[in-house]
Amino acid sequence: MNDPFDSLQERLTHLEAGEPLETVCADLPEAEAGLLQMAGALRAVPAPERSLNTISTQRMELIRAAKSFKALNTLPKTDEVRRLGQPARAQSWWPLALAGGVAAMFACVLVVAALASAIWLWRSSPQPSVAQPHSPAATVVAQASPATVALAAPDPQHAILAEARGLVEIQSSDGAWAAADAGQTLAAGQKVRTGALSGVTLAFYDGSLARLGPNAEISVDSLDAQKTGSRVILLTQWSGDSKHDVAHSDDAASRYEVATPSGVGSAKGTSFRVSVTVLLVRFDVDEGVVAVTHLNVTVIVVAGQTTIVPPGEAPEEPVFHISGEGEVTAIGGIWRIGGQTFLTDSSTVVVGDPQVGDWVAVEGRILSDGTRFADRITLLHHSTENQFSFTGTVEVISDTQWTIAGRVVRVDEFTEIEKGIEEGVQVEVRGGIAKDGTWWASSIELTAANGFEFTGVVQSIISDTWTISGISVTVNVSTTIEAGIVVSDVVHVEGEILDDGTWLATSIQKTEENTFDFTGVVISMKPWIVDGVPISVTEQTTIDEGIDIGNRVRVMGQVLADGTWLAESITQLDEGKRHHVEFTAKVEHIDPWIVGGVTVSVTEQTKIDNGIKVGDLVTVKGNLLPDGTVVAKKIRLANPTQGCVETSVVVQTINADQIVLLNGQTIPLDGKAKVKGKVNVASVVIVLACADADGNITVVSITVVYQLDALPPPPAQDNGGQDKDKDKNKHQDCKEGPGRGEGHCNEDDDDDD
Amino acid sequence: MMRELSLTRRGLGMADLPRPDLVTLAQGGDVQAIGALYDQHHQALFRYIWARVGERQTAEELTGDVFMRMLAALPRYRPSVVPFRAWLFRIAHNLLVDHYRKESGRVALSLQSAEGVSDEGNPAFLVEQKLTVERVHQALAVVDEPQRSVIALRFLSGLSLEETAAVLDKSESAVKALQHRGLATMRRALAHEKVPS
Repeated sequence: MNDPFDSLQERLTHLEAGEPLETVCADLPEAEAGLLQMAGALRAVPAPERSLNTISTQRMELIRAAKSFKALNTLPKTDEVRRLGQPARAQSWWPLALAGGVAAMFACVLVVAALASAIWLWRSSPQPSVAQPHSPAATVVAQASPATVALAAPDPQHAILAEARGLVEIQSSDGAWAAADAGQTLAAGQKVRTGALSGVTLAFYDGSLARLGPNAEISVDSLDAQKTGSRVILLTQWSGDSKHDVAHSDDAASRYEVATPSGVGSAKGTSFRVSVTVLLVRFDVDEGVVAVTHLNVTVIVVAGQTTIVPPGEAPEEPVFHISGEGEVTAIGGIWRIGGQTFLTDSSTVVVGDPQVGDWVAVEGRILSDGTRFADRITLLHHSTENQFSFTGTVEVISDTQWTIAGRVVRVDEFTEIEKGIEEGVQVEVRGGIAKDGTWWASSIELTAANGFEFTGVVQSIISDTWTISGISVTVNVSTTIEAGIVVSDVVHVEGEILDDGTWLATSIQKTEENTFDFTGVVISMKPWIVDGVPISVTEQTTIDEGIDIGNRVRVMGQVLADGTWLAESITQLDEGKRHHVEFTAKVEHIDPWIVGGVTVSVTEQTKIDNGIKVGDLVTVKGNLLPDGTVVAKKIRLANPTQGCVETSVVVQTINADQIVLLNGQTIPLDGKAKVKGKVNVASVVIVLACADADGNITVVSITVVYQLDALPPPPAQDNGGQDKDKDKNKHQDCKEGPGRGEGHCNEDDDDDD
Repeated sequence: MMRELSLTRRGLGMADLPRPDLVTLAQGGDVQAIGALYDQHHQALFRYIWARVGERQTAEELTGDVFMRMLAALPRYRPSVVPFRAWLFRIAHNLLVDHYRKESGRVALSLQSAEGVSDEGNPAFLVEQKLTVERVHQALAVVDEPQRSVIALRFLSGLSLEETAAVLDKSESAVKALQHRGLATMRRALAHEKVPS
C-alpha cells in the first residue's frame, strides 16, 4: 500500500467505519495523519439547521407536484420544474378561539401602529425571496400543516397569504366568499376570513405581518407597504384575534393602522395583538408602545400591558397582563391555576369546560388593586390522575368483568363497548382506577391496525373526496355521514388508512371535540411527520423512547384552534409493544411499588424519577405480562410542577440584594432567578413564576421588556376613571377626525377636550 | 404498502438501506414514496449544496430545485446504471454547475492561495479547534473545482468513494487522488490562516 492515495482511502474507510481517529492515525506520519484529521474535522462541521417550515413546505409542494403530474398521468418535463416554497417562521403562539363574531356595526376603532422600536424578526431569519416574474405563483398545499409560501408580497399594493391553515376565504368584489390558499394575494378593498380550526398570515411588502386566528375576519382598507419612505397599511378587524408584527420604518409619516368595530382608537406600536368579540376589544402589547384611542381618550399601552375597549366606552386604563398555564386546583368565581389565584366574572371566556385537576392556559390582567383577573381560560388537557390505557387480547368476557392481556377490568352500564368484540381479538381499553385498585373500563374498542380519527374543519366536498383541515379523506357508500354537513363545519372523522395511503372515512359527524388519534409510519422526527401529517410536539408530549423513522406509531392529541395537531402522546406500535400499559395514580407504597392500588414490578431497567415519595402522583409506563402483572419501564412524576405564570409588572426599587416590584413583591437577587436585560427603577419586567407540585412558587426569571420614564402614579381611586387623563406617560389628548387618520394626538397636552 | 418498505432496521442509517423498491414506487407515481425520498435525502443534499454555495438561503432553494428535477427525471432513472443516491447528487451537481454559470465569477477567495504554504510548526491545529462554517468555506475556495466537489461529497455529505465517483463520472482512482490533494490543500490553507506570516 505505497500509493498515498490508496493509503489515505484505506484509513478513511476505517474512520468511516467508526474507528477512533487516534487509532486510525496511529503510526502514520504527521502529514498523513493531518489529512485524516482534516477529513474528520470536515465531517464534524455543523451545517446550518434547515428551516422546519421550508422542509415541510418543500416536501408538501413536491408531493403536490407529484400528485398533479400523476393526475395528468405524466411526470413533469424539466422546463416545468419550479422552485419549491421558501422558509417561513415557525409559529406556536397562536391563541385559541374566541367564540362569536360581531353582531352589530359600531363606529370604527382606529388603531394606528406607528413604528417606534420594531424588531424586524424576519431580518434574523433567511430573507424571503420575492417570486421571480417568470415563476408561477406559489401553490396550495393540501396537508394538515399550514400551507406556506414566501413571506413577501409581490409589490407594495398587495399582501400575500403567506401561511394558511384550515378554511381561509377571500371576499371578491361581488361580495362572494371563495376559498383561498397560501400564495394568493390581497389588495385594498378585499377581505379575508378564517373558519374554525384555521388561521392565516398576511405578509406585506415591507415585511410586516398580520396573523389571523380562527373565526377572524379582516379587511384591507388601504395598502402601500413601501419598504422605504412612507408606508401605509390600513386594516379593519371585524372579529377574532390577530397578531401584528410591524416592520420598522424610519419615516415618521408611515402608518400601520387597524380598525375594529368597537369605538374609536389609535395606537402606536410594534408588536401587538387585537381581540374583537361582541363584548369588547382588547389590545395586548408585546413589544414597544401602542396608543389606543376612543371617545377622545387615548391610552398609551407599553409592552407587557393590556387595555380593554368596551363598545361605546373609552379605553380602560392600561393594566399589566398575565398569562401562563398550569393545573387547576380551584374553580368558581376564584380560580387557582399554576399556584396563583384568578378572579373571573361573566366576561371570562372559558373554553373546554376544564375541571379541577385539568391543565389549562390562562390569559388575563392585573387589575389596579393587584387582583389577577382571567379573561380567558382554555383547557389544554384533562387530568390523567387515576386514568389507564392499554391494549391487549381479550381472554374472558363476562357481564361484569373482562380479562384482557391477563388483566381483569370491570365493566358496567357506563362502559362503552364497541360492537363485534369477542374473545381472542385485540382491543384497547381505557378507564379509571378506583381507590381499591379496581380497574374500571370506560371504553373497550377494537384496535384497528390503521385506524384514524380526528377533528377538523370541512374545506371542500367534491364528489367522494372531502378536504378536512388539509387532509384529503375519501368516502364511499359505507361511510356514515351526518346529514347537513357543509363547508366550514367542524367534524369528527373516523376511518382507516388504506395501504395505498388513502384515508377512507367510516363516519363523518359534526362535533365539538378537538381530538385526533391515528396510527401511521414515522416519516420524519424533525419535524414530526407521521403518514404525511405534520405533528407538533411540546415538552408535555409523551413520546416513547426508541422511536425511529419507519416505525409504526399511534399519535393522539388535540387539534388546536388554529388547526395545529398537537400530540399528547406518540406511542410505538411495533411488535412487542402490543401490551403496553400506562396509567397515572398516586404512589401508595415503595418497595414493593403500589401505585393506585396496583402492584407494579420494577427491574434494574426500570427508570424511576429521583425523589418520588408516597403520595406523589406518578405515571407508570410498562408492559402487561400474560398473568396481568404490570412491569414498569418508567415511573415518572406526573406533575412535577403545577405550572408557570408570566406576570408583567413595574420595578419600584432595586439594589444589589433584591428587586422590589410595584405590586409589593420582593425578589431576592440570589442567583436563583435569571435576570434578562438591565433592570432599572421603572423597568417593565415579565416575571416568570412556577409552582412546584406542592404549590410552592419560585421566581424563575425576570425579563425586561420596556423602560418607563418614571414610576407610574399610585393606583387610581374609584373616581369613575377621571384620573385616567392625568398620567402623561399613559395618555394623550387626541382630536378625533371624522374618519381614519383625520384626527391627531398631542402627547404634550394633558387636558381633555 | 409504503409503510413496510420504509421501515428502518435499527443500527443502520437511512442511507445504508437498499431502497430500490421505494424508488420504483416513486417512479410509478407513488406520492408517499416521493415524499419519503425527500425525507431521506434532503439534509445531505442541503449540506452538499450549502458547502458549495456558502449561502443558506440559496442552498435551501437549490435543494428544493433538486427534488423538482428529480421528479422530472424519475422516469428515466435506471437503478442498474447508477445507485439512486449518486444519481440524485448528480442532479444536484449539475444544478450547481448551472447555478455557477448564471452566477459566474462569484466565488471569492478569502484566503491567499495555499499552494506552497507550509504548515510546519502548526501540526495539531485541527485537533485544537473545530472548523467553523466560515473557515471551511474560505478553505474550500482555495481548492480547485474537482477537488472541491470531491471534498464536499465525501466529507460534508458523507458519500462513499464509489458514489462520489458515480456523481462526478470519474474513476475511483481519480477520486482518491482528488480527495488527497483537496484535503492537503485545505489543510495548508487553514494552517496558514492560523499562523501569521
